[in-house]
Amino acid sequence: MIWRDGVLVSPGAGGVYGERMRGGFRVWDPRRSKVAALAYIDREFEIPEGARVLYLGAANGTTVSHVADYAEVVYAVEFAPRPMQDLLAVASRRTNIVPILADANRPGRYAHLLEPVDLIVQDVSQPHQAAIAVRNRPFLVPRGRLVLMLKARSIDQERPVDEIGAGVTAELGAGGYAVESIRSLVPHHRDHLVILARTAP
Amino acid sequence: MTRRYWWGEIGKDGTCTPAPVDGAAALARLATLETPMESWVPAPWEATAACGGFADRAEYLARLHRLAARLAAAGVADALQRPDIELARMVRALDGLDEAINLLTERAVEWHATRDPGFTRKFSSMPARRLVPLLAVRAKGPLRALLAEIEALAASRAALAKDVTRAANRVLPNCSALVGGLVAARLLAAAGSLDALARLPGSGIQVLGARTALFSHIRSGTPPPKHGLVFQHRRVHNAPPGRRGRVARVLASRLAIAARIDRFRGEADAVFIEVANARIDGVLE
Repeated sequence: MIWRDGVLVSPGAGGVYGERMRGGFRVWDPRRSKVAALAYIDREFEIPEGARVLYLGAANGTTVSHVADYAEVVYAVEFAPRPMQDLLAVASRRTNIVPILADANRPGRYAHLLEPVDLIVQDVSQPHQAAIAVRNRPFLVPRGRLVLMLKARSIDQERPVDEIGAGVTAELGAGGYAVESIRSLVPHHRDHLVILARTAP
Repeated sequence: MTRRYWWGEIGKDGTCTPAPVDGAAALARLATLETPMESWVPAPWEATAACGGFADRAEYLARLHRLAARLAAAGVADALQRPDIELARMVRALDGLDEAINLLTERAVEWHATRDPGFTRKFSSMPARRLVPLLAVRAKGPLRALLAEIEALAASRAALAKDVTRAANRVLPNCSALVGGLVAARLLAAAGSLDALARLPGSGIQVLGARTALFSHIRSGTPPPKHGLVFQHRRVHNAPPGRRGRVARVLASRLAIAARIDRFRGEADAVFIEVANARIDGVLE
């Protein structure tokens, strides 16, 4: 990842959503983006140059636009039509974003658009987040990486976050992932965990 | 088994049939494709070479980008350019107008009271639509302009309410026949879409619009709400207090059926409406 004076940035043309610029780079705010928060918390985390990324839950395309500054191509899946309008506007100026209007629960609906990817970033507000990650696992190359932004409150309103995280970790393990780490996104995002995993051989 | 990709299809024997990659034909093909994931075989872009393919990876990505953007835009248009979605947004605009008119009227009356010491509280019990023209005659300057704006807003509110009723009669013919266009449209807006309304059970329709009371019931065991938006229908609010709950429940159960007829048949069913209305009126006897 690229840092300028301790601030995470991404290389690309600015003005996507009113982000600040620093030395010609776009400032990537950890309070607005969970992927940026992950980079602040885990300084080892990298989006490798030339990476092919599948982004589930692309929303308005703010985080996607930063990921696309690093990656070769981002397949951006979003289910809701309203945010997709914004995502299309972002994609019209970043030709390495492939916008896909589809439900991440049903990868069969967009499988024919994809190629094998190195990295899946998942940020969906759904109760079955582990199942979604498992269903999209076939798209990963061997030893491909999963970054799962776990929105604990979409799974259960009351149980402790760690307990919810343990449940999801177990489900991922059963679904063919080897979980490498599980961290909290506090102080940047409340009630969110980030799970890093690789496809098990 | 034939493997289907956006750029072509690879048959059992490995031969490749190219597919259209732009234009209406490509969109129509992709809109219906569904791959069973158990048999999905990843195709690296180099595999496209068997199909005549693309000059290089840049061209592959550029083509895919353009096609995917068109496909997504068509999907967005399908999802948003629908009469039920427009009706729901009209209802929201109507509610916005009501809020604005009430707020501005309150502010204008307070302002007027400082200028006219003879202004008494008896005016405050007068409905805004009569009070505002009355004040407009006496007021001067910016206050008068503000009052004129309120009157103009009230006029567009009245026109919009008529439009909403008319659109509801078209989009929700059966629901409208039971509770009137305006209430039917409000139910639709609360559910979000005709699909969502048609999927709701009667018990859900009964408490649409009573979210606060419902969650307070679930969380802390306060009495459950008897009615939400359906209260705005005359047969509910005119019913004697002891029967309102029962009327609301029976009405809501018929509305659930009506919403499904509206969603899946889209036209008024005279027999259903007559039987349903008789059943609802039966509760009141």
